[in-house]
Amino acid sequence: MPRKFGKPTDPDYEARLAEFEARIARGEKIEPGDWMPEEYRRQLVRMISQHAHSEVVGMLPEGAWITRAPSLKRKMILIAKVQDEAGHGQYLYHAAETLGVTREEMLEALLSGKAKYSSIFNYPTLTWADIGTIGWLVDGAAIKNQTMLAQCSYGPYSRAMVRICAEETFHHKQGKEMVITYAKGTPKQRAMAQDAINRWWWPALMMLGPHDSDSPNTPTLVKWGVKTKTNDEVRQEFINEHAPEILEAGLTLPDPDLRYDEATGNWVHGPINWDEFWAVVNGNGPMNKERLEARRRAHAEGAWVREALAVYAARKQQTAVAV
Amino acid sequence: MDTQWPRWEVFKQDTPAKPHQAVGSVHAADPFHALLTARNVFARRPQAVSMWVAPASAIFSVTQEELAEGQEPKPPAPDPRPSTFYVFRKTSHKRSMTFVDYVGELEAASPQQALELARQRFTDAEALAWWVVPASSVTKSENSPETVESWFAPAKDKTYKQQSYYGVVGSHVSKFKRPRGEDDE
Amino acid sequence: MNEQVKQALIAKLTALADDELILAHRDSEWTGHGPILEEDIALANIAQDELGHATVWYGLRSALDGSDPDRLAFFRDAGEFRNCEFVELPRGDWAFTMLRQYLFDVYEALWLSAAARSTYSPLAEAAAKVVREERFHLQHTQAWVERLGLGTEESRRRIQAALDEQWGYAQQLFVPLPDEALLVAEGIVPDLAEVKEAWLERTTEHLRKSGLELPLQPGYQPASRQMHTEHLWSLLAEMQSTARWDAEAKVW
Ligand SMILES: [Fe+2]
Ligand SMILES: [Fe+2]
Ligand SMILES: [Fe+2]
Repeated sequence: MPRKFGKPTDPDYEARLAEFEARIARGEKIEPGDWMPEEYRRQLVRMISQHAHSEVVGMLPEGAWITRAPSLKRKMILIAKVQDEAGHGQYLYHAAETLGVTREEMLEALLSGKAKYSSIFNYPTLTWADIGTIGWLVDGAAIKNQTMLAQCSYGPYSRAMVRICAEETFHHKQGKEMVITYAKGTPKQRAMAQDAINRWWWPALMMLGPHDSDSPNTPTLVKWGVKTKTNDEVRQEFINEHAPEILEAGLTLPDPDLRYDEATGNWVHGPINWDEFWAVVNGNGPMNKERLEARRRAHAEGAWVREALAVYAARKQQTAVAV
Repeated sequence: MDTQWPRWEVFKQDTPAKPHQAVGSVHAADPFHALLTARNVFARRPQAVSMWVAPASAIFSVTQEELAEGQEPKPPAPDPRPSTFYVFRKTSHKRSMTFVDYVGELEAASPQQALELARQRFTDAEALAWWVVPASSVTKSENSPETVESWFAPAKDKTYKQQSYYGVVGSHVSKFKRPRGEDDE
Repeated sequence: MNEQVKQALIAKLTALADDELILAHRDSEWTGHGPILEEDIALANIAQDELGHATVWYGLRSALDGSDPDRLAFFRDAGEFRNCEFVELPRGDWAFTMLRQYLFDVYEALWLSAAARSTYSPLAEAAAKVVREERFHLQHTQAWVERLGLGTEESRRRIQAALDEQWGYAQQLFVPLPDEALLVAEGIVPDLAEVKEAWLERTTEHLRKSGLELPLQPGYQPASRQMHTEHLWSLLAEMQSTARWDAEAKVW
């Protein structure tokens, strides 16, 4: 557990901060127990717990299709994928716990609606092709972010990210493989895939966060080696990789302004509807209520289970001590 | 507030030649439950041959920085009887995939004494952080071949969880695509 | 293998596969809704394993008659499924799910250990592989039964209620198929009567140790795999909805 969170009012703050920043500049990882600025800890707790909540809430839109997967293989893959997302939430809650917050506190923040999670999971999964599309676009966008965060200066977060990235690559590939299969499939399959791409493309771009000009935390996070790229840079990378692949699959993208720019080598996109983004972030997306409700219900219905095991364990320990 | 059960640190051994490493933690109710849970969380994919769990509250952890400043934290409630302690150590902060690794066990009267002895005994590498854990707090997976087969081998057959299972998807030479440099996937 | 034995083996493999598929379906309904994150992961592991076992048994059948596992899973109607009614019952609460999985795991682990000595080598090899996973599940679900039985009053009440409801249904696991005797005679599959004896011994001991009482009235004991509960139709309607949505689709 880290025990020393420096405040600017501490007499040795400047000296320690210089040492801390020098460590980051040398590429060293900051580990639990090491001195760190309170602000660094605060930003990390915010990011990591949001990230953990996103993984856990993200289980819901896809989990809903496990029972409707169209083949034994797809069903198996989807259970494994949603299980991985739970695992990612688990790794990330752990990383946040090393900064002195508890799982209970983080869950409380999620269930009370105080904590944020990725806006993307507040969209509905309307057809089976959404499952492939989420893998390709949503996991694809997540990988871009996570590959960057795997370099993060905080050891436990970077380790979680390295593991997560390795698993996300499977999510991304299975999704891509599925959508490409349907794009080459029957007319109904192709239409379903196109419809899914149309609905998920913009939300996927938005999930990489507001423009740099509207992202006040970014400069500090870059300075302290938490982020190494800005939201817009990551978004551009995502588009450059995915736009040509989707077009190559014979599908279209719902952006009339999208074009390849020879000079920069970038795919230039049209304006993003940030009003929609902020509406979803602020709780007014199509599925915000349902997602939170599902988490609350699972939590409430599990209360007697958690209590039963706690009581069992306490009794066991008592008998062990008595013996 | 409701309970999410205590937190247990998980030590995973990837191959018999490697040490147990602190890979993360799980929330579980009791020692055996924690071990089962650790297997589910940390052996979804290969590699593992053994796992240990210990309640996070039983671990005495101290950093090099704290030792240098004479600021070591208080250990968990000391056990008055001399006993065996497991010692774990982190020796590098250079890369992200560096862990707190098991280095050995020793007899001591208290966690502090165990730490002192460890600092004298395990000197082959600089220690950036120490973890000292009473052996009595550690629960281990069985080493019998049957258990290893049942707990850790099946993950190897779940190839659909590996990205390589999907091969190269889609054509990679494309009229839509400029040649890419470093692929960060 | 003569034709009659072959047909009996096909029927047996279908029953085995259908049990695992439907059980996996019920388990997978929990994904994202478990009582704690770690158990969500654990149950998703069990669901994957059981689904994997279904694939193994459908695969062995396919080797005998060239059938397509996906056609069997997604294009048969309720009346053609050969799973027992036990696995169709809705998932219920956590106690219901854990107890059912426990009773099934004990049966499966015992059956597989015996089937690993099958004279039909594809079955023997598959059973030896599958049993590894079952041994792990069994440890997990066995731990849950004990903890819920000896936990709070509420957990005991819930798991006892689950036991009262399930005990009769579980007995169907040991009702042989019409021609199963042929397979037993050839040493291809274990004798269910022997498996049942070991199962009863093991489960009753553990259930008692967990503070539970075996129901005095066993309740309804289904006898034929041709019959199903009212739940199977809707379960399949959901499970098969995507696969049947596009009649032309060749690949999913
Ligand atoms: Fe994830
Ligand atoms: Fe993912
Ligand atoms: Fe099974």
